[in-house]
Amino acid sequence: MKLSRAKKRDEHTLAGAYAMDAISAPDRDRFERHLAGCEECAREVASLREATAVLGSAAAEPLPAGLKERVMAAAAVTRQQPPADEAITKPHARSAGAAVGTWLRSLAWPGRLALAAGAAGAAAVLAVAVVFGVTNGSIQQQLDQVQASSQQIAVVLTARDAVMTTGPVVGGGTATIVMSHSRHALVFTAQGLHALPASRGYELWLIGPAGTRPVGMLTAGSHGMTGPVIASGVRQGDHLALTAEPVGGSPQPSAPMMLDVAL
Amino acid sequence: MTATGSQEPRNPARRAPGAGAGRSTGTSAGTDLAAQIALVARGDAAAFDVVFERIGPSVFGVVKRVIRDPAQSEEVTQEVLLEVWRTASKFDAGRGSATAWVMTLAHRRAVDRVRSVQKESERERRIAAADIPYDEVIEAVESSLERERVRRCLNSLTAVQRESVTLAYYRGYTYGQVASLLGVPTGTVKTRMRDALIRLRDCLGVPEWG
Repeated sequence: MKLSRAKKRDEHTLAGAYAMDAISAPDRDRFERHLAGCEECAREVASLREATAVLGSAAAEPLPAGLKERVMAAAAVTRQQPPADEAITKPHARSAGAAVGTWLRSLAWPGRLALAAGAAGAAAVLAVAVVFGVTNGSIQQQLDQVQASSQQIAVVLTARDAVMTTGPVVGGGTATIVMSHSRHALVFTAQGLHALPASRGYELWLIGPAGTRPVGMLTAGSHGMTGPVIASGVRQGDHLALTAEPVGGSPQPSAPMMLDVAL
Repeated sequence: MTATGSQEPRNPARRAPGAGAGRSTGTSAGTDLAAQIALVARGDAAAFDVVFERIGPSVFGVVKRVIRDPAQSEEVTQEVLLEVWRTASKFDAGRGSATAWVMTLAHRRAVDRVRSVQKESERERRIAAADIPYDEVIEAVESSLERERVRRCLNSLTAVQRESVTLAYYRGYTYGQVASLLGVPTGTVKTRMRDALIRLRDCLGVPEWG
Protein backbone atom coordinates (compact mmCIF):
# COMPACT_ATOMS: atom_id res chain seq x y z
CA MET A 1 0.00 0.00 0.00
CA LYS A 2 1.43 3.35 -1.05
CA LEU A 3 0.68 6.16 1.28
CA SER A 4 0.58 9.70 0.07
CA ARG A 5 3.63 11.69 1.03
CA ALA A 6 1.72 13.88 3.47
CA LYS A 7 0.00 10.93 5.12
CA LYS A 8 3.31 9.16 5.44
CA ARG A 9 4.91 12.17 7.05
CA ASP A 10 2.00 12.39 9.45
CA GLU A 11 2.35 8.73 10.41
CA HIS A 12 6.03 9.24 10.81
CA THR A 13 5.69 11.98 13.41
CA LEU A 14 4.22 9.36 15.74
CA ALA A 15 7.66 7.75 16.01
CA GLY A 16 8.54 9.80 19.09
CA ALA A 17 5.27 9.18 20.89
CA TYR A 18 5.47 5.51 19.98
CA ALA A 19 9.04 5.14 21.25
CA MET A 20 7.86 6.50 24.60
CA ASP A 21 4.64 4.42 24.66
CA ALA A 22 2.84 7.77 24.74
CA ILE A 23 0.22 6.41 22.46
CA SER A 24 -3.23 4.88 22.87
CA ALA A 25 -3.75 1.23 22.03
CA PRO A 26 -5.49 1.86 18.67
CA ASP A 27 -2.80 4.35 17.64
CA ARG A 28 -0.16 1.87 18.70
CA ASP A 29 -1.63 -0.86 16.52
CA ARG A 30 -1.96 1.49 13.59
CA PHE A 31 1.60 2.68 13.92
CA GLU A 32 2.91 -0.86 14.24
CA ARG A 33 1.23 -1.73 10.96
CA HIS A 34 2.93 1.31 9.49
CA LEU A 35 6.27 0.22 10.95
CA ALA A 36 5.96 -3.22 9.43
CA GLY A 37 6.08 -1.66 5.98
CA CYS A 38 8.56 1.13 6.64
CA GLU A 39 12.11 0.01 7.32
CA GLU A 40 13.27 3.59 7.72
CA CYS A 41 10.66 4.23 10.43
CA ALA A 42 11.60 1.03 12.23
CA ARG A 43 15.21 2.14 12.26
CA GLU A 44 14.26 5.53 13.58
CA VAL A 45 12.11 4.06 16.34
CA ALA A 46 14.96 1.74 17.30
CA SER A 47 17.36 4.65 17.55
CA LEU A 48 14.89 6.70 19.60
CA ARG A 49 14.49 3.77 21.93
CA GLU A 50 18.19 3.85 22.59
CA ALA A 51 17.61 7.37 23.86
CA THR A 52 14.58 6.48 25.98
CA ALA A 53 16.53 3.54 27.42
CA VAL A 54 19.11 6.00 28.71
CA LEU A 55 16.31 8.06 30.26
CA GLY A 56 15.09 4.92 31.94
CA SER A 57 18.51 3.86 33.16
CA ALA A 58 18.98 7.28 34.69
CA ALA A 59 16.07 6.51 37.00
CA ALA A 60 17.68 3.31 38.33
CA GLU A 61 16.94 2.46 41.93
CA PRO A 62 18.19 -0.30 44.21
CA LEU A 63 16.01 -3.38 43.97
CA PRO A 64 13.75 -4.20 46.91
CA ALA A 65 14.93 -7.06 49.10
CA GLY A 66 13.90 -10.49 47.92
CA LEU A 67 12.86 -9.43 44.43
CA LYS A 68 15.80 -11.01 42.73
CA GLU A 69 15.39 -14.28 44.61
CA ARG A 70 11.74 -14.43 43.65
CA VAL A 71 12.43 -13.83 39.99
CA MET A 72 15.34 -16.28 39.88
CA ALA A 73 13.16 -18.93 41.49
CA ALA A 74 10.38 -18.13 39.04
CA ALA A 75 12.79 -18.41 36.14
CA ALA A 76 13.81 -21.84 37.36
CA VAL A 77 10.29 -23.11 36.78
CA THR A 78 9.36 -20.98 33.78
CA ARG A 79 9.58 -22.40 30.30
CA GLN A 80 11.36 -20.18 27.83
CA GLN A 81 9.99 -19.31 24.43
CA PRO A 82 11.69 -21.02 21.53
CA PRO A 83 13.52 -18.87 18.97
CA ALA A 84 11.60 -17.33 16.10
CA ASP A 85 12.16 -20.14 13.60
CA GLU A 86 10.19 -22.60 15.62
CA ALA A 87 7.66 -19.98 16.52
CA ILE A 88 6.70 -19.47 12.88
CA THR A 89 4.33 -22.37 13.14
CA LYS A 90 1.82 -20.65 15.36
CA PRO A 91 1.74 -22.21 18.78
CA HIS A 92 -1.55 -23.83 19.57
CA ALA A 93 -3.71 -21.82 21.83
CA ARG A 94 -3.11 -23.62 25.05
CA SER A 95 -5.89 -23.55 27.53
CA ALA A 96 -5.17 -21.40 30.50
CA GLY A 97 -6.09 -24.29 32.73
CA ALA A 98 -3.52 -26.52 31.13
CA ALA A 99 -0.91 -23.82 31.49
CA VAL A 100 -1.63 -23.48 35.17
CA GLY A 101 -1.56 -27.23 35.58
CA THR A 102 1.83 -27.40 33.99
CA TRP A 103 3.19 -24.79 36.36
CA LEU A 104 1.83 -26.52 39.36
CA ARG A 105 3.16 -29.83 38.14
CA SER A 106 6.60 -28.42 37.76
CA LEU A 107 6.37 -27.17 41.29
CA ALA A 108 5.12 -30.33 42.89
CA TRP A 109 7.76 -30.46 45.56
CA PRO A 110 7.31 -32.99 48.26
CA GLY A 111 6.37 -31.76 51.67
CA ARG A 112 5.38 -28.35 52.74
CA LEU A 113 7.15 -25.21 51.82
CA ALA A 114 6.65 -21.76 53.25
CA LEU A 115 6.94 -20.03 49.96
CA ALA A 116 7.07 -16.41 50.94
CA ALA A 117 9.26 -16.92 53.96
CA GLY A 118 11.68 -19.28 52.25
CA ALA A 119 14.75 -18.08 50.43
CA ALA A 120 13.06 -18.99 47.20
CA GLY A 121 10.22 -16.59 47.85
CA ALA A 122 8.45 -18.82 45.48
CA ALA A 123 5.02 -17.41 46.02
CA ALA A 124 5.69 -14.71 43.58
CA VAL A 125 7.39 -17.28 41.53
CA LEU A 126 4.51 -19.48 41.01
CA ALA A 127 2.61 -16.43 40.81
CA VAL A 128 4.40 -14.68 38.13
CA ALA A 129 4.78 -17.88 36.22
CA VAL A 130 1.08 -18.32 36.14
CA VAL A 131 0.42 -14.72 35.34
CA PHE A 132 2.60 -15.22 32.34
CA GLY A 133 0.83 -18.35 31.36
CA VAL A 134 -2.36 -16.40 31.49
CA THR A 135 -1.28 -13.26 29.71
CA ASN A 136 0.71 -15.09 27.08
CA GLY A 137 -0.42 -14.08 23.62
CA SER A 138 -0.85 -17.68 22.58
CA ILE A 139 -3.91 -18.08 24.76
CA GLN A 140 -5.54 -14.78 24.08
CA GLN A 141 -8.31 -16.54 22.23
CA GLN A 142 -9.41 -18.37 25.32
CA LEU A 143 -12.85 -17.95 26.72
CA ASP A 144 -13.33 -15.06 29.11
CA GLN A 145 -14.48 -17.39 31.76
CA VAL A 146 -11.31 -19.40 31.68
CA GLN A 147 -9.28 -16.23 31.80
CA ALA A 148 -11.18 -14.83 34.72
CA SER A 149 -10.70 -18.02 36.66
CA SER A 150 -7.03 -18.15 35.76
CA GLN A 151 -6.59 -14.61 36.92
CA GLN A 152 -8.21 -15.47 40.23
CA ILE A 153 -5.82 -18.37 40.45
CA ALA A 154 -2.91 -16.10 39.65
CA VAL A 155 -3.99 -13.78 42.45
CA VAL A 156 -3.74 -16.61 44.96
CA LEU A 157 -0.45 -17.84 43.60
CA THR A 158 1.07 -14.38 43.62
CA ALA A 159 -0.01 -13.63 47.17
CA ARG A 160 2.96 -12.96 49.38
CA ASP A 161 1.76 -15.41 51.99
CA ALA A 162 1.01 -18.22 49.53
CA VAL A 163 2.00 -21.60 50.96
CA MET A 164 2.12 -24.78 48.95
CA THR A 165 1.29 -28.16 50.40
CA THR A 166 1.38 -31.48 48.64
CA GLY A 167 0.13 -34.74 50.03
CA PRO A 168 -1.14 -38.19 49.08
CA VAL A 169 -4.78 -38.82 48.24
CA VAL A 170 -6.45 -41.91 49.67
CA GLY A 171 -6.85 -44.43 46.87
CA GLY A 172 -3.95 -43.01 44.87
CA GLY A 173 -2.61 -39.75 43.55
CA THR A 174 -1.13 -36.56 44.91
CA ALA A 175 -2.88 -33.33 45.76
CA THR A 176 -1.26 -29.92 45.59
CA ILE A 177 -2.73 -26.99 47.44
CA VAL A 178 -1.54 -23.41 47.31
CA MET A 179 -3.17 -21.47 50.12
CA SER A 180 -3.19 -17.73 50.73
CA HIS A 181 -4.68 -16.78 54.06
CA SER A 182 -4.58 -13.10 53.19
CA ARG A 183 -6.74 -13.82 50.13
CA HIS A 184 -8.90 -16.34 51.97
CA ALA A 185 -8.48 -18.58 48.99
CA LEU A 186 -6.63 -21.62 47.74
CA VAL A 187 -5.87 -23.31 44.47
CA PHE A 188 -6.17 -27.07 44.29
CA THR A 189 -4.95 -29.54 41.74
CA ALA A 190 -4.25 -33.25 41.86
CA GLN A 191 -2.34 -35.73 39.82
CA GLY A 192 -2.71 -39.45 39.24
CA LEU A 193 -6.06 -39.81 40.99
CA HIS A 194 -7.71 -43.21 40.91
CA ALA A 195 -10.07 -43.26 37.92
CA LEU A 196 -13.75 -43.27 38.88
CA PRO A 197 -16.66 -44.77 36.93
CA ALA A 198 -18.15 -42.34 34.39
CA SER A 199 -21.14 -41.70 36.64
CA ARG A 200 -18.97 -40.43 39.47
CA GLY A 201 -16.50 -37.63 39.99
CA TYR A 202 -14.33 -36.05 42.64
CA GLU A 203 -15.84 -33.18 44.58
CA LEU A 204 -13.94 -30.68 46.69
CA TRP A 205 -15.34 -29.28 49.94
CA LEU A 206 -14.59 -26.70 52.57
CA ILE A 207 -15.61 -27.99 55.98
CA GLY A 208 -15.34 -25.99 59.17
CA PRO A 209 -17.09 -23.97 61.86
CA ALA A 210 -18.76 -21.93 59.13
CA GLY A 211 -20.38 -25.10 57.77
CA THR A 212 -19.79 -27.44 54.89
CA ARG A 213 -19.56 -25.77 51.50
CA PRO A 214 -19.09 -27.52 48.15
CA VAL A 215 -16.20 -26.00 46.19
CA GLY A 216 -16.77 -27.84 42.95
CA MET A 217 -16.16 -30.95 40.92
CA LEU A 218 -12.67 -31.68 39.68
CA THR A 219 -12.26 -31.66 35.94
CA ALA A 220 -9.72 -33.47 33.84
CA GLY A 221 -6.74 -31.36 32.86
CA SER A 222 -3.67 -32.38 30.92
CA HIS A 223 -0.83 -34.73 31.81
CA GLY A 224 -2.99 -36.68 34.23
CA MET A 225 -3.60 -33.54 36.25
CA THR A 226 -6.98 -32.26 37.26
CA GLY A 227 -7.79 -28.75 36.14
CA PRO A 228 -6.94 -26.26 38.88
CA VAL A 229 -9.88 -25.36 41.11
CA ILE A 230 -10.03 -22.21 43.13
CA ALA A 231 -11.75 -22.19 46.51
CA SER A 232 -12.48 -18.73 47.83
CA GLY A 233 -14.05 -17.67 51.09
CA VAL A 234 -11.81 -19.92 53.16
CA ARG A 235 -12.52 -19.29 56.87
CA GLN A 236 -10.59 -19.84 60.05
CA GLY A 237 -10.65 -23.49 61.06
CA ASP A 238 -11.63 -24.81 57.63
CA HIS A 239 -10.52 -28.15 56.30
CA LEU A 240 -10.30 -29.00 52.63
CA ALA A 241 -11.84 -32.36 51.81
CA LEU A 242 -12.11 -34.48 48.70
CA THR A 243 -14.83 -37.08 48.17
CA ALA A 244 -16.21 -39.20 45.35
CA GLU A 245 -19.75 -38.18 44.40
CA PRO A 246 -22.24 -38.57 41.57
CA VAL A 247 -21.12 -36.42 38.62
CA GLY A 248 -23.69 -33.74 39.36
CA GLY A 249 -22.28 -33.23 42.86
CA SER A 250 -23.90 -33.85 46.23
CA PRO A 251 -25.45 -31.58 48.83
CA GLN A 252 -23.23 -33.13 51.51
CA PRO A 253 -19.93 -34.99 51.26
CA SER A 254 -20.17 -38.78 51.27
CA ALA A 255 -17.76 -40.97 53.18
CA PRO A 256 -14.96 -41.77 52.78
CA MET A 257 -12.82 -38.66 52.62
CA MET A 258 -10.10 -39.12 50.02
CA LEU A 259 -8.31 -36.14 51.45
CA ASP A 260 -8.77 -34.05 54.56
CA VAL A 261 -6.33 -31.20 55.11
CA ALA A 262 -6.49 -28.57 57.81
CA LEU A 263 -5.93 -25.15 56.25
CA MET B 1 17.81 -22.21 44.37
CA THR B 2 15.52 -24.62 46.07
CA ALA B 3 14.60 -28.17 45.42
CA THR B 4 13.10 -27.80 42.01
CA GLY B 5 14.96 -30.94 41.05
CA SER B 6 14.89 -31.87 37.43
CA GLN B 7 12.77 -28.85 36.58
CA GLU B 8 15.69 -26.55 37.08
CA PRO B 9 16.89 -25.15 33.78
CA ARG B 10 20.09 -26.58 32.53
CA ASN B 11 23.06 -24.43 33.15
CA PRO B 12 25.46 -25.39 30.42
CA ALA B 13 29.14 -24.67 30.63
CA ARG B 14 29.49 -21.01 29.84
CA ARG B 15 30.21 -20.65 26.18
CA ALA B 16 32.15 -17.88 24.63
CA PRO B 17 29.71 -15.18 23.64
CA GLY B 18 29.54 -14.62 19.95
CA ALA B 19 27.81 -17.56 18.35
CA GLY B 20 24.36 -16.22 19.11
CA ALA B 21 25.26 -12.73 20.19
CA GLY B 22 25.18 -11.60 16.63
CA ARG B 23 25.88 -8.48 14.78
CA SER B 24 25.98 -6.04 17.61
CA THR B 25 28.22 -3.07 17.01
CA GLY B 26 27.50 -1.24 20.24
CA THR B 27 29.73 -0.34 23.12
CA SER B 28 31.55 -3.17 24.82
CA ALA B 29 29.19 -2.93 27.77
CA GLY B 30 26.19 -3.12 25.47
CA THR B 31 27.64 -6.01 23.53
CA ASP B 32 28.35 -7.79 26.74
CA LEU B 33 24.77 -7.51 27.91
CA ALA B 34 23.60 -8.71 24.49
CA ALA B 35 25.90 -11.72 24.79
CA GLN B 36 24.52 -12.47 28.24
CA ILE B 37 20.98 -12.33 26.89
CA ALA B 38 21.96 -14.75 24.14
CA LEU B 39 23.13 -17.11 26.89
CA VAL B 40 19.90 -16.54 28.81
CA ALA B 41 18.00 -17.63 25.69
CA ARG B 42 19.79 -20.98 26.05
CA GLY B 43 18.59 -21.36 29.60
CA ASP B 44 21.74 -20.17 31.33
CA ALA B 45 20.68 -19.16 34.83
CA ALA B 46 24.08 -17.71 35.65
CA ALA B 47 23.82 -15.36 32.68
CA PHE B 48 20.36 -14.37 33.84
CA ASP B 49 21.88 -13.50 37.18
CA VAL B 50 24.36 -11.21 35.42
CA VAL B 51 21.61 -9.58 33.35
CA PHE B 52 19.63 -9.11 36.51
CA GLU B 53 22.44 -7.36 38.33
CA ARG B 54 23.11 -5.13 35.36
CA ILE B 55 19.65 -4.03 34.43
CA GLY B 56 17.34 -4.90 37.31
CA PRO B 57 17.77 -1.55 39.07
CA SER B 58 17.05 0.33 35.84
CA VAL B 59 13.92 -1.71 35.26
CA PHE B 60 12.70 -1.11 38.78
CA GLY B 61 13.57 2.57 38.55
CA VAL B 62 11.64 3.26 35.38
CA VAL B 63 8.70 1.11 36.38
CA LYS B 64 8.45 2.88 39.72
CA ARG B 65 8.74 6.28 38.11
CA VAL B 66 5.73 5.52 35.95
CA ILE B 67 3.64 3.52 38.42
CA ARG B 68 4.63 5.26 41.67
CA ASP B 69 3.05 2.68 43.95
CA PRO B 70 5.98 0.63 45.34
CA ALA B 71 4.13 -2.68 45.69
CA GLN B 72 2.74 -2.56 42.17
CA SER B 73 6.10 -1.44 40.84
CA GLU B 74 7.72 -4.42 42.45
CA GLU B 75 5.16 -6.73 40.88
CA VAL B 76 5.61 -5.28 37.41
CA THR B 77 9.39 -5.38 37.78
CA GLN B 78 9.17 -9.08 38.53
CA GLU B 79 6.97 -9.60 35.49
CA VAL B 80 9.35 -7.71 33.25
CA LEU B 81 12.45 -9.55 34.42
CA LEU B 82 10.76 -12.89 34.12
CA GLU B 83 9.66 -11.89 30.64
CA VAL B 84 13.31 -11.23 29.82
CA TRP B 85 14.03 -14.79 30.87
CA ARG B 86 11.07 -16.14 28.96
CA THR B 87 11.52 -14.27 25.72
CA ALA B 88 15.31 -13.87 25.57
CA SER B 89 15.31 -15.76 22.29
CA LYS B 90 13.27 -12.94 20.75
CA PHE B 91 16.00 -10.40 21.36
CA ASP B 92 17.64 -9.47 18.08
CA ALA B 93 21.01 -7.84 18.62
CA GLY B 94 20.87 -6.49 15.10
CA ARG B 95 17.87 -4.29 15.85
CA GLY B 96 19.00 -2.49 18.95
CA SER B 97 20.90 -2.72 22.18
CA ALA B 98 20.00 -5.21 24.88
CA THR B 99 19.42 -2.33 27.27
CA ALA B 100 16.90 -0.74 24.92
CA TRP B 101 15.16 -4.07 24.45
CA VAL B 102 14.73 -4.63 28.18
CA MET B 103 13.86 -1.03 28.96
CA THR B 104 11.26 -1.01 26.20
CA LEU B 105 9.63 -4.08 27.74
CA ALA B 106 9.77 -2.46 31.15
CA HIS B 107 8.35 0.87 30.13
CA ARG B 108 5.57 -0.61 28.09
CA ARG B 109 4.52 -2.92 30.89
CA ALA B 110 4.54 -0.08 33.37
CA VAL B 111 2.48 2.11 31.09
CA ASP B 112 0.02 -0.69 30.38
CA ARG B 113 -0.42 -1.25 34.09
CA VAL B 114 -1.02 2.41 34.79
CA ARG B 115 -3.48 2.77 31.94
CA SER B 116 -5.51 -0.25 32.95
CA VAL B 117 -5.79 1.24 36.43
CA GLN B 118 -6.50 4.69 35.02
CA LYS B 119 -9.60 3.49 33.31
CA GLU B 120 -11.01 2.66 36.70
CA SER B 121 -10.05 5.89 38.35
CA GLU B 122 -10.10 8.56 35.69
CA ARG B 123 -10.91 11.21 38.24
CA GLU B 124 -7.97 10.48 40.49
CA ARG B 125 -5.73 10.52 37.50
CA ARG B 126 -6.85 14.00 36.57
CA ILE B 127 -6.06 15.25 40.02
CA ALA B 128 -2.68 13.57 40.01
CA ALA B 129 -1.94 15.08 36.64
CA ALA B 130 -2.03 18.59 38.03
CA ASP B 131 1.56 18.58 39.23
CA ILE B 132 4.24 18.78 36.61
CA PRO B 133 7.00 16.27 37.21
CA TYR B 134 9.97 18.02 35.70
CA ASP B 135 11.65 19.15 38.91
CA GLU B 136 11.05 15.84 40.51
CA VAL B 137 12.54 14.02 37.57
CA ILE B 138 15.57 16.22 37.49
CA GLU B 139 15.94 15.69 41.19
CA ALA B 140 15.78 11.94 40.76
CA VAL B 141 18.17 12.10 37.88
CA GLU B 142 20.79 13.95 39.88
CA SER B 143 24.16 12.48 40.78
CA SER B 144 26.19 9.90 38.90
CA LEU B 145 27.78 10.50 35.54
CA GLU B 146 25.01 8.87 33.55
CA ARG B 147 22.48 11.01 35.29
CA GLU B 148 24.54 14.11 34.77
CA ARG B 149 24.68 13.35 31.07
CA VAL B 150 20.92 12.80 30.90
CA ARG B 151 20.34 15.96 32.83
CA ARG B 152 22.55 17.97 30.54
CA CYS B 153 20.80 16.58 27.47
CA LEU B 154 17.33 17.13 28.91
CA ASN B 155 18.38 20.70 29.60
CA SER B 156 19.38 21.14 25.98
CA LEU B 157 15.76 20.69 24.95
CA THR B 158 13.20 23.48 24.71
CA ALA B 159 10.82 23.70 27.64
CA VAL B 160 7.92 22.18 25.71
CA GLN B 161 10.10 19.38 24.35
CA ARG B 162 11.42 18.59 27.80
CA GLU B 163 7.99 18.62 29.39
CA SER B 164 6.59 16.45 26.62
CA VAL B 165 9.32 13.89 27.16
CA THR B 166 9.18 13.84 30.94
CA LEU B 167 5.39 13.67 31.08
CA ALA B 168 5.30 10.94 28.46
CA TYR B 169 8.24 8.84 29.53
CA TYR B 170 8.41 9.25 33.28
CA ARG B 171 4.69 9.66 33.85
CA GLY B 172 3.36 7.36 31.19
CA TYR B 173 0.98 9.87 29.62
CA THR B 174 -0.22 9.59 26.04
CA TYR B 175 0.57 12.40 23.65
CA GLY B 176 -3.11 13.34 23.82
CA GLN B 177 -2.92 13.69 27.60
CA VAL B 178 0.31 15.63 27.34
CA ALA B 179 -1.30 17.94 24.80
CA SER B 180 -4.19 18.73 27.10
CA LEU B 181 -1.90 19.21 30.09
CA LEU B 182 0.32 21.60 28.20
CA GLY B 183 -2.54 23.26 26.34
CA VAL B 184 -1.08 22.68 22.90
CA PRO B 185 -2.53 20.89 19.86
CA THR B 186 -1.88 17.15 19.66
CA GLY B 187 -0.12 17.55 16.32
CA THR B 188 2.35 19.89 17.99
CA VAL B 189 3.02 17.47 20.83
CA LYS B 190 3.62 14.58 18.42
CA THR B 191 6.13 16.65 16.52
CA ARG B 192 7.82 17.93 19.69
CA MET B 193 8.14 14.44 21.06
CA ARG B 194 9.86 13.19 17.97
CA ASP B 195 12.10 16.24 17.67
CA ALA B 196 12.97 15.98 21.36
CA LEU B 197 13.95 12.34 21.16
CA ILE B 198 16.04 12.91 18.06
CA ARG B 199 17.82 15.70 19.87
CA LEU B 200 18.26 13.59 22.99
CA ARG B 201 19.56 10.70 20.94
CA ASP B 202 22.11 12.89 19.27
CA CYS B 203 23.09 14.57 22.53
CA LEU B 204 23.44 11.27 24.36
CA GLY B 205 25.45 9.84 21.50
CA VAL B 206 23.63 6.52 21.54
CA PRO B 207 24.68 4.12 18.78
CA GLU B 208 22.72 3.72 15.58
CA TRP B 209 21.12 0.38 14.93
CA GLY B 210 19.60 -1.55 12.10
